[in-house]
Amino acid sequence: MFKNEEMEINLGPQHPSTHGVLRVKLRLDGETITHCRPMIGYLHRGVEKICENQSFFQGQVWTDRMDYCSAVANNLGWAEANEKLLGITVPRRAQYIRTLLNEFNRLASHLIWLATHALDIGAMTVFLYAFREREDILDINEAFCGSRLTTTAFRIGGLREDLPPGFEKLVRKFLAKFPTCLEEYENLLTENRIWKKRTIGVAKLGAEDAIAMGVTGPVLRAAGVPYDIRKAFPYAAYGEMDFEIPTRTEADTYARYLVRMAEMRQSARIIQQCIDGLPEGPVMAKLPKILRSEVNEVYHATESPKGEIGYYLVGEKGSLNPYRFHVRAPGFINLQSLPKMAEGGLIADIVAAIGTLDIVLGEIDR
Amino acid sequence: MSEPNVPQTPEVPEAPAGPYVYDYAAAPNRQIVMPKTVPLPSYRTYLAEQKAAAEADEAKWQKSLADYETAKAKAEAEGKDAPKPPVRPVPRKDDNDMKAPVPQEATDADLLKLQALLGDKVEEIFEQAGELVCQVKKEAILEALTLCRDEAALKYEMLADQSGTHYPAAKDFAYSVVYHLTSICRRKRLRLRILVPEGFAPESACAVYPGANWMEREIYDMLGICFLNHPDMTRILCPEDWEGYPLRKDYPTVGWGQRDISFREDRSGMLERIALQKAGQLGLNLKQPKAD
Repeated sequence: MFKNEEMEINLGPQHPSTHGVLRVKLRLDGETITHCRPMIGYLHRGVEKICENQSFFQGQVWTDRMDYCSAVANNLGWAEANEKLLGITVPRRAQYIRTLLNEFNRLASHLIWLATHALDIGAMTVFLYAFREREDILDINEAFCGSRLTTTAFRIGGLREDLPPGFEKLVRKFLAKFPTCLEEYENLLTENRIWKKRTIGVAKLGAEDAIAMGVTGPVLRAAGVPYDIRKAFPYAAYGEMDFEIPTRTEADTYARYLVRMAEMRQSARIIQQCIDGLPEGPVMAKLPKILRSEVNEVYHATESPKGEIGYYLVGEKGSLNPYRFHVRAPGFINLQSLPKMAEGGLIADIVAAIGTLDIVLGEIDR
Repeated sequence: MSEPNVPQTPEVPEAPAGPYVYDYAAAPNRQIVMPKTVPLPSYRTYLAEQKAAAEADEAKWQKSLADYETAKAKAEAEGKDAPKPPVRPVPRKDDNDMKAPVPQEATDADLLKLQALLGDKVEEIFEQAGELVCQVKKEAILEALTLCRDEAALKYEMLADQSGTHYPAAKDFAYSVVYHLTSICRRKRLRLRILVPEGFAPESACAVYPGANWMEREIYDMLGICFLNHPDMTRILCPEDWEGYPLRKDYPTVGWGQRDISFREDRSGMLERIALQKAGQLGLNLKQPKAD
């Protein structure tokens, strides 16, 4: 009655655990995955082409819309790449405020990852709790730049405006509350028997494979490689901050969860340092009215919550727009390792594997 | 005279014959402005340009000096006052925080090591904006990548990014492909660059860095550069049957197959409604039914 046949199925692009429009072609032998092929491109909008035909300034709103969960981090990378291309020095106060907002963004992004990843695996309460704290962070975003999700927070050369009155109070209130919230999540998950059974030993990716595939971010750090661009190639005000790079050696889904939780503690630490040591001064560099580029070619990488986000820009002499604009999206490169993680595992575990990569399809497809 | 309250059916233009045939004059936002320059940074070109600019400046100064001498002699002969001597213009000092980085001579140990190991396969090495750039011959890219990964003094373990650029104004090449390497243990970055003519298939980097797989597929999809010995050379972002390569400079920003939207056309009957409202204010009834 039962035939021993391989079956081919599609996971997505409409499955809720595919975080957008990822389609994964799977070949199954019973419950075991024998072949896995991620297929992307359902959300491709041609961001690179559009940005090449717009001025340096206008590119910023497109970087917001690539990875809408970490818009500030994308803005930071874009602004710094442009500053490197044009040779702009940014004032120190602006650097501190950028660092502060970027770390808040890391918290927001990790919270949304925790919420949806836990929901994928079946934990509903964490989803509601994490969104509660994320709201506070979005309120802080709103106080600074007026918008919550697509922030357009920075400008080339600094910031549009200084911090609003009462901002510091808002940040300190959040910092006082946040450690107890983190404990709440950890109480729900870290020693939870179901959570451990669904995550320990699942979707393993060792350090050698991860480096060969170009995987970065928490996935690489959970494999024991302490590579964080904030430390390795310091940008913004990270050179002056005191923080640690959390790593684990297990290289599985549980280790990535622990790394991200530890990273959130470090982010809170950086925010505390930024708000305590905020220097006085201007927040915008003195610039000519029209920014014109020289012949130059830059690649600037920053640490977004998902990994290394790099902007490759080519400048033409006297031009108002980049000749070439390319984004090295962390999700795009990280997703390549999905077959390595999923093949040989069970079909129920591919949901955990997709969740643990923390992908946003808007960024992968661009 | 047409009835104002009867919606006119707009004239639908005929569909174009093929997917590539478009009346660009009718759709100005589809017009392509092809680049005229090749913004490819190079220390040698930069030096030559600087030298040419300095020579032109000097020639101009000598000419103004000679003009002054003749004017002076002429004024003396006519018994007039001598003209003002020329003043050499001092370059204006910019007091802003912007200073464009220029290419500089390679002094970094990694670049010199690569030069020593690869010999005449290196076309150019220089530094710009704190970044190391090494341009190698297009046939030697796989060798250069292997060397960068395996050589004990280099040890670039990770291929961070790979992308290409289209230069239609260049004469002896059409594209550049750049490889951004990262050394995690030595905290260094290096850019390898090759120049590729139309139709040339460079060697795939997948054998050295497996992560290049999707990046090369993206370059193939967006620019149309095929890679030799790539395990899976298929489109990745566009559908399989997509025509054209979107990141080439001759591909329009508003893509083929998209509708031209004129925001002046009456899309929701708004203009008609405004006309009726205005007529009502004037006491006219445009909505009177026709007497059959």
